[in-house]
Amino acid sequence: MKQSEEIPEYPQRDLLRIRIKRLFYEDLELVSDIDLKVSSGEKILLTGSTGSGKSSLLNTLNLMNQNYEGEVLFQGKPVTEYIPQVLRSQIVMVMQEPWLGEGSVSEVLDEALAFCTNKKRLDQDQNQRIHQLFKAFELPADYLQKKADQLSGGEKQRVALIRAMLLQPQVLLLDEVSSALDQTTSGIISDFIFESCGSTVIAISHDPLWQSRWQRRWRIQDGKIHDNGGH
Amino acid sequence: MAKFTTTEAIEMDISYWGLFFSMLLLLFPLAIFHQLKLQLTRQLFTAFGRMIAQLALIGLWLQFLFQKDNAWLTLLWVLIMLSNAVITLRGRIKFQRRILAPIFFMALGVASLIVLPWLLFVVIRPRPFLAATIVIPIYGMVLGNTMNSCALAMERFEGKLSDNWKAYFTRITLGASHWEAALPAFQQAMHISLLPRLLSIASMGVVSLPGMMSGQILGGASAVVAIKYQMMIMAAIFTSVTIADYLAIRLYLKRRFDQYYLPKGEPRKKP
Repeated sequence: MKQSEEIPEYPQRDLLRIRIKRLFYEDLELVSDIDLKVSSGEKILLTGSTGSGKSSLLNTLNLMNQNYEGEVLFQGKPVTEYIPQVLRSQIVMVMQEPWLGEGSVSEVLDEALAFCTNKKRLDQDQNQRIHQLFKAFELPADYLQKKADQLSGGEKQRVALIRAMLLQPQVLLLDEVSSALDQTTSGIISDFIFESCGSTVIAISHDPLWQSRWQRRWRIQDGKIHDNGGH
Repeated sequence: MAKFTTTEAIEMDISYWGLFFSMLLLLFPLAIFHQLKLQLTRQLFTAFGRMIAQLALIGLWLQFLFQKDNAWLTLLWVLIMLSNAVITLRGRIKFQRRILAPIFFMALGVASLIVLPWLLFVVIRPRPFLAATIVIPIYGMVLGNTMNSCALAMERFEGKLSDNWKAYFTRITLGASHWEAALPAFQQAMHISLLPRLLSIASMGVVSLPGMMSGQILGGASAVVAIKYQMMIMAAIFTSVTIADYLAIRLYLKRRFDQYYLPKGEPRKKP
């Protein structure tokens, strides 16, 4: 299959289209008959019981899971036809326990910006943007010099989100990012996502602080997905 | 009493009785094993028994090859040595064995094809070119070292990856290619494999006298010739090791991941 490096201009609606007949975990069928459309800028909450297939579904969007029958379209083109790194720099995932490495925070951010795809796509000088994001996430600027492994859980998660946002993704996938955080940090992240983040966000979360703010909810129950709101 | 001078080259053969007496030295380790109740006595007898049988057989075979000095026979033996190295390597590595044999064959083969012809056609230029007495010992040293290093580098690379899949997955979810995501593990594996060699090269002559050089001096060569051969062989081994390590890991990297850069044969993440 031919893979392309270009992300074409695309209308705001139907940024993502998920048409999955059957979604599996190994041989086990988790969810069937998924047909969902996502527009640019939407904020979507994905819920369901443990093992219901939330992470498996989220992982289909950025090519981290191909164990399904059907197709996922990003800007009208199957995700499998994109070069993986090109797609993943546009559909960026942040995980529950982020990995940052052992260097300074500044090195952590630089590493992601230095990946070939990101270097090609983004401006060389990201300093101003880094400082804006530090401000939005309420982290002092001198944290750039701090060792990443000396940060608290909440600080690590904020750095992981800053790293993701530096890539200016069209879609941000959040897998339980606030589950181990205190209320203050969770509030800071929630404020950023719902007030400042222009990207489409699809998140798995059980955080009560976030619950009332979502525009749309997908709930997986009994092997089906229920879409509350949207199209 | 024989008189030895520093400049005179003297070939000192060992009698079979002499060889037998050299083995009597092993009484010391056996006594230590006995006192410490180390369960190594049987292994010692097995190891030395195997070594004696293998070297005796290979000695007879090499004597035959050297007497014949036939280029085709020499080439055939080189190929057999290469195949044996690949089989040994594949046996030593405990992961992803299915894909390893062609990778090792390629890595060791390419390293050999670069280093051996260079030594023969440019450096030593023996007459005939494929003289068995030159090709076989030199290739044996280069290949043996390359094989050991390749095994170490591959183990370290896979170890570094498997110990920290989270780092790899994080990088690819941020837009890295599998090459970029695995590069730190690649760098560490190469470093671990090559650094001890560089340290040992740096200490050569001061701390240790290398085996080849000692062997040549004992075999009757002058110290100057022995030193020149030693320098040549160290450059050849280090080059071959670096090329083989690099190629083996690069080829492995290509086969280890699928087209979406996900590792093959790893347990899937939570649903």
